[in-house]
Amino acid sequence: MNEGTLIGVGTSHVKDTYLSPFNYSGWGLRILNERMKITGLGRDNFSRQQIINVDISSTKNPAENVNDFAAFADYALGYHYRLDVVPGFRVLTGMSAHLSGGFIYNIRNGNNPLSAKIDVDGGFSLITLWNFRMNKLSFTLRYQGELPLAGVFFSPEYGASYYEMFNVGNLSDVLAFNSFHNKFALKNYVTLDIPVESFTIRLGYLNSLYYSDAKSIQTRIISNSFMIGWVKEFIPLGSKRIKYKNRVKSSYY
Amino acid sequence: MADEYNTSPQKNFEALWKILDENYCFFDYKGIDWDEVHDKYSLQIDESMYEYKLFQVLSDMVNELKDGHINLNSSFFFSSYEGWYTEYPSNFSWGILNDKYLVDAARGGNYNEIRYTRFAGNQIGYIYYGSFRESMLETELDSIFHFFENCKALVIDVRDNGGGSLINSDRLASRFLTEKTLCGYIQHKTGKGRSDFSDPYPIYLKPSHNTLWLKPVMVLTNRRCYSASNNFVSKMRELPNVRTLGGSTGGGSGFPFTSELPNGWSIRFSTSPILDVNMQHTEFGIEPDVEINLLPQDIENRRDALLEAAMELLLSGV
Repeated sequence: MNEGTLIGVGTSHVKDTYLSPFNYSGWGLRILNERMKITGLGRDNFSRQQIINVDISSTKNPAENVNDFAAFADYALGYHYRLDVVPGFRVLTGMSAHLSGGFIYNIRNGNNPLSAKIDVDGGFSLITLWNFRMNKLSFTLRYQGELPLAGVFFSPEYGASYYEMFNVGNLSDVLAFNSFHNKFALKNYVTLDIPVESFTIRLGYLNSLYYSDAKSIQTRIISNSFMIGWVKEFIPLGSKRIKYKNRVKSSYY
Repeated sequence: MADEYNTSPQKNFEALWKILDENYCFFDYKGIDWDEVHDKYSLQIDESMYEYKLFQVLSDMVNELKDGHINLNSSFFFSSYEGWYTEYPSNFSWGILNDKYLVDAARGGNYNEIRYTRFAGNQIGYIYYGSFRESMLETELDSIFHFFENCKALVIDVRDNGGGSLINSDRLASRFLTEKTLCGYIQHKTGKGRSDFSDPYPIYLKPSHNTLWLKPVMVLTNRRCYSASNNFVSKMRELPNVRTLGGSTGGGSGFPFTSELPNGWSIRFSTSPILDVNMQHTEFGIEPDVEINLLPQDIENRRDALLEAAMELLLSGV
């Protein structure tokens, strides 16, 4: 199993018309953990990837007199078919399911201070891995794209208050089917694994785009994170593969 | 709407007008021609005007809506419409109440500003709840009702209570019923059109799981009972054993949202109408069951006529 844990900082742009008609800009902090392993499916031609991502941001309105605070957590589970295109270059294509939740909080708004976000969706996932050597060291460059196709998300009506939804109990019409007609989300993830003595450092850049337009409420969240972390390559205890060490191959390298 | 910071008077005027055009909920009920308001005030906007003057013009424009939930807020001024109470008798003197009736009253609430005591030889319990920004824990309410254990009736005084949290007002109201009771309806905007509203959704009040008060209650009201306080009165009058006494409440039945202008000023406005059980608006107030006014001679005699009348009615069992 290949496991990487990264932390990152970067820019964040948040616009949610339930809270304000304006784009708020500022900084964000991100923690990401990913695990990839080869499954027993299809003669080891399939791998499974799990990503847990938490990001928080603090942004300001154009007049810079009000803050939004946002926090999101998401989990992605992907299965990929592995194709060795040429030696050292591998393409993984597949599908992934995403579960994400979080909120944007505006410190000035009295009765509409919060916009909650819950998304469950599935979509395409593509990974390219390029292993190359430089100065007798092995590096791995990876690009990953995640594109949700369809799902369900929390989508209150235009002027519905959280008091009406959660205190009075009117939860009708708070969910909506989503696809490209009302939502577009894309994550572009680039990493470079660098061996440093007996460790492997992973440098990353994550570009996350989220647009939705449902029931006359528009949301746009764009973040760019520069990340750094470490990578572990290990065999999980209890794995049957440990009996066949000579057959163990990395899911990543 | 462009996302950039912009101090242009014209841009901010148009932004404010549009926010209210797409979100304000009482245009039809109040018979306001918002397009006509635009035309009237756009003539007063020019690009060279100072921001203080712009604030004044925009305040005048939003006050055409005659709504106490409308507030325009800049770093230097805060505008609010006060016509909903200034033309009405106050029916309340905090000085008289505090100096004459609340000398030995206990305090409660998160800001310690709720007062409660007993009158008429401990026969009447009394709570002054001056703002629903004040919250009380369920245990604190329990201890207050325990304090009133031997009283035969209760006065809840919400005069000059300008509102606050509906959660706080519901928490108190839930102590006066034994069965889930329909107390009103709520609507919200479903789109940007001025008449785009959801169907009214029923609001039920459920009895508290804690101590209940099922003996007679008199709620004292005046014109400055607004917003959550108006809603409290609207709900309480649907409950058994509850009557209201004093003057008409001030209204404020639109649940408010906040938005902002390109120059960073904020605007608060009514967006979701809360209706009474007959699906009628209470935006302009609720008449009391028993109308009593505080007269000049009452003030001269340092006498709270509304409180005295409430106690008299409760003691006589009328």
